[in-house]
Amino acid sequence: MRPPHNAPLTRLLTTALALLAHLPRPAQAVFRDEVGHTDYHHQLLGLPLRETTFFHRPRRDDRASLLYTLSDVGVVGAVNPGSGEVVWRQDAYLSPSSLLGGGGGAKGEEEREEEEEEGKEAGWGRFLRAGEGEGWVVSAFGRAVHAWDAVSGRSRFWVPLDGVVRDLEVMEMTESGPGRKDVLVLVEERGGASVLKRLSAEDGCVVWEWRELTRDLPLQVSTNVEKVFVVSLKGAPGAYNLKVSVLDTLTGRKLDEMVVGAKADVHGKEDVMFVGANSAAPIVAWTDDARTTLRVNVLGTKARQEFALPADTVAVEIHAPHLVQSDPHFLVHSRTATGHRGEVFHVDLKTNAVSKAYALPLLPGPGAFSTSSNGANVYFTRITDDEVILLSSQSHGVLARWPLKTGDSKASAVHAVSEVIKRAGAEDSYAVRAAAVTDADDWMLIRNGEAAWTRPEGMTGGVAATFAEIPESEDLARSLEQEAHSNPLEAYIHRVKRHIHDLQYLPAWLNAIPARVMSSILGTDVRSTAGKLERDSFGFHKLVVLATRRGMLYGLDVANNGRIVWKKRAFPIPKGRNWDVKGIQAHDSTGQVTILGSNDDVIVLQSDTGDIIEAKAPSRDATTQATALVDTSSGQHLIRIGRGGKIGELPVDRAPRQTVVTRGAEGELKGIVFVPNGNSSYESVSWTFSPPKGQRIVHIATRPAHDAVASIGRVLGDRRVKYKYLNPNTLVLAAINDETHVLTVYLLDTVSGQVLSAAKHDGVDSTKPIECAMAENWFVCTFFGQYALHDNSAQAVKGYQMVVSDLYESDEPNNRGPLGSAATASSSLEPLDVPTADGGVVRPAVVSQAYILSAPVSALQVTTTRQGITARQVLAYLPEAHGIAGLPRVVLEPRRPVGRDPTAAEAEEGLLRYQPAVEIDPKSVVTHERDVLGVRRIVTAPAVVESTCLVFAYGLVDIFGTRVAPSFLFDILGKGFSKATLVGTVLALLGGVLLLAPVVRRKQINMRWQAPM
Amino acid sequence: MSALATAPVALPAWAAELKNPPAHKLKPDSIPDPPGSPWASSQISTGSKVTAPPRKPPTPAEMDTLKLKKAWEVALGPIKSLPMTAIMMYMSGNSLQIFSIMMVYMAFKNPIMGILATNQAFERFETEGNRAKILQVKLAYVVMQLVALALGVWKVNSMGLLPTTRSDWLAWEAQRDVLEHAVPGL
Repeated sequence: MRPPHNAPLTRLLTTALALLAHLPRPAQAVFRDEVGHTDYHHQLLGLPLRETTFFHRPRRDDRASLLYTLSDVGVVGAVNPGSGEVVWRQDAYLSPSSLLGGGGGAKGEEEREEEEEEGKEAGWGRFLRAGEGEGWVVSAFGRAVHAWDAVSGRSRFWVPLDGVVRDLEVMEMTESGPGRKDVLVLVEERGGASVLKRLSAEDGCVVWEWRELTRDLPLQVSTNVEKVFVVSLKGAPGAYNLKVSVLDTLTGRKLDEMVVGAKADVHGKEDVMFVGANSAAPIVAWTDDARTTLRVNVLGTKARQEFALPADTVAVEIHAPHLVQSDPHFLVHSRTATGHRGEVFHVDLKTNAVSKAYALPLLPGPGAFSTSSNGANVYFTRITDDEVILLSSQSHGVLARWPLKTGDSKASAVHAVSEVIKRAGAEDSYAVRAAAVTDADDWMLIRNGEAAWTRPEGMTGGVAATFAEIPESEDLARSLEQEAHSNPLEAYIHRVKRHIHDLQYLPAWLNAIPARVMSSILGTDVRSTAGKLERDSFGFHKLVVLATRRGMLYGLDVANNGRIVWKKRAFPIPKGRNWDVKGIQAHDSTGQVTILGSNDDVIVLQSDTGDIIEAKAPSRDATTQATALVDTSSGQHLIRIGRGGKIGELPVDRAPRQTVVTRGAEGELKGIVFVPNGNSSYESVSWTFSPPKGQRIVHIATRPAHDAVASIGRVLGDRRVKYKYLNPNTLVLAAINDETHVLTVYLLDTVSGQVLSAAKHDGVDSTKPIECAMAENWFVCTFFGQYALHDNSAQAVKGYQMVVSDLYESDEPNNRGPLGSAATASSSLEPLDVPTADGGVVRPAVVSQAYILSAPVSALQVTTTRQGITARQVLAYLPEAHGIAGLPRVVLEPRRPVGRDPTAAEAEEGLLRYQPAVEIDPKSVVTHERDVLGVRRIVTAPAVVESTCLVFAYGLVDIFGTRVAPSFLFDILGKGFSKATLVGTVLALLGGVLLLAPVVRRKQINMRWQAPM
Repeated sequence: MSALATAPVALPAWAAELKNPPAHKLKPDSIPDPPGSPWASSQISTGSKVTAPPRKPPTPAEMDTLKLKKAWEVALGPIKSLPMTAIMMYMSGNSLQIFSIMMVYMAFKNPIMGILATNQAFERFETEGNRAKILQVKLAYVVMQLVALALGVWKVNSMGLLPTTRSDWLAWEAQRDVLEHAVPGL
């Protein structure tokens, strides 16, 4: 039974629906025909890095190659260069717990965890290599080496290492004939030892290991078939020397060691530009700090050659082939602030002398060079702002040249990889395809100058996102405002005029009716707003504004499969830094989105076009700790909260009316109120909450901004009412004690800072994520716990748990608690002698229950609907299953009867018997078969129709969005409803009536006439 | 037939018949009239057979008693059908179905209509003499209808349609207004 769509919901109907929504119901599932219609997914890899992206042939005999990359977010994957689709992808990062198997002191764990986070974000190198002609690729990121099957992406082996990988190289072998290639991995161990391991490419076992316990910084490893070179930095920070250790390929024995160059030549790690590998004459190249000279050394020799770099060079890159059989040529790509140039050098194999072969002209733009080798031939592809130029390493003659056509969006390549094919037959015919990363954070394949596909890889690394309504026409808003301000007669005349003016749209509207009716009857999915940004009556058509850590902003059209409506670079973020967005707010009335960053930066833009209205670039220092959306006498504002929770003085009309809850300098929680003083208001701390000594705040959850409550009580089976404790000024705070592993969950009143309730959980693993979510009158917390039961210590519980707590005004039904029927509630700031006594603080009656989940969950979020009638779901990302589950509130219900079947009244209420284990039902996974990687946050927004909640998930890697209807689509006709049948039936009946009416009339007259007298 | 002769315009036969239906045809003599038919009465009355002596017409007092008795029967009528109704109501269950809804409708409609039509129901039994007694009967009748109505109310209550519990008034209870507000800035 489905009520008609868009039915006006009266108050009475509301209660009826509330009953309906809470009835026990079959499991939710995503139907096949909804896939791709209600949900969308951007399967992303992350921004490819120059060093870890290449074309590679996964099968020796097959000429088809795939594009492999290990991105800046640590995803290794293969892309079909023809279509741009992901063939496979894997998370290259292995979590420390899975590597080290837990253990260790709590303190050490925590430090390691932090170090891990830092390293993951920036410090560690990412390496991806493939052996020529081999069917595998090998990646290293963090503390492990991982080999993958090149065609399927299946794991071949992985080797955990006790240290951070500094370099990875595939080594060409000579001793066991062609075809055998091994992996060299350079590790910097915890104690400062440099370890080079040769791993068998078959199964990852160690062939030999070379260890050196010095304080040197291991940098890179290189081979030239006969020898292995380990390049490291020796000396003190700021004045390093390059040290090259020469090792034997067969045994790993050290043959020689030499220090290259003059004393204190190298300033830091980043000055060493390049160490070639798998070349007949591998080189190491470095520059001075000012980027004026380039120093080159052919590995294995002591000589150092110097070349002057062009003036004003800001960055230098070196491009060289990675094949032994290729000519030992390399290209130096130097960038100035406005342009770029290239110089090609040759290495003489006999004398080991490096000579400059030719130079390429200075062209504007950053430019991108890439290398491709085919046997001994080495080709350089240069992508400038308007051209793709193919050069040979031998001479400066241009082999081919194509104008760059990237479609309507102007984009210039930052770095690229390319594949050059020399066509047989015609002597001078070449085909080039280059996969370039553009300055708009896109990954674009350029085939002979034309853009074949573009992948929006910049959408990875999302830091903030919000739903925004599509702005209504400004004219309308303005006219309405005008009407409101003029006298009634004028307003009436104005309105009549406006309606007459609107008549011009009538024919178009009338014309559109048949198509709309037909599409509605046939069930075809002709979107009435195809290509246009226009609100729809169901409220599904919204925009999402997404900000990424690289400083890009995206506008996504939620109703049209997450199509990118616009993309803008907010600020150029320097490499290695992140844009730290602290607050994002969409003003639905004006259609503007305000984004505040941590470094005093602000950007205001139009949500439908992405036009930047106001922008202030980030300053050097991080000044903002958080933001708060506050009500002031001049309207709603997003205000900054400085470090240590200080806001500072504000003018009276911009001072918040509410208490602002924020973190203090010591990590404590505090409430801030503003006290007016003349024309300005100064802040005053109204309360402070410091967790007890030894406890550390790990997570804080508050009620969502839109948290509609349909009913203030829960109706029990016997028609009595349990009144919900609905205090909007509450938050849930989880604090853990790292020594005792006790997690304490506090419920705080945010006006008075009073603790309303607290619960302790034993044996909680502090290294695993602890998260809470809150809505209406309940909250959930999830953590990993292991403890013995209190009543039966022989029985232990271990697993990912979810504790759900309901808050009621009183334990008794039909009782509104201490406040009784008072119409208002207030949180007293007065000190209390006995805080637990009645009459002091209105404390809720808490009912809690713990469940053990079958999988870890993170990024908890609660669905929200327009009026709050629909049942709730807890949305959670499954980091191990790569999906988003919607856990129904009916399952996570603290009042489920324990140890007995529910009584008839309880069953009527929808309570099931308590089962401690909650299996995550595949039907409840809203991402169904999609593989959604790296979700960090989920945002929800209500639609206009009550049944539906819009969901958007973003984070490190993927973008996913869908609509969920936790109580089914009770206010919309589903796709299964056959309007054709309905209309057909009505038409058939009408036809029947029209046809039969004369017959019946005739018969009736005849009957009258033939009536017996 | 004479009308036809004097009519200035000759009407067709059917029109004339429509205007003046033909007189009842005289039955053939061979078929006797059924006993008690008006045509036969004169023959019977004049018949030579000896019939029972004519019944003495009842006196007004007797008539009043008789009428009162009848009136009591009518008054107690509703209570007689109650057990049946109760069983049917019990059997029909407490769910909202077309059958139980109809039953409830009837359970309410009949008593109320009965009460409204009390005077009509006893009009024919009412005489000058038994007016006072009939009033008692009427009262009894109303009480019986109310009992029937009570059965309907019981049914409605057991169906949960009466707003007797706290939950029925929940929608009219207001959420408490909170005087202070706080915003998170975490």
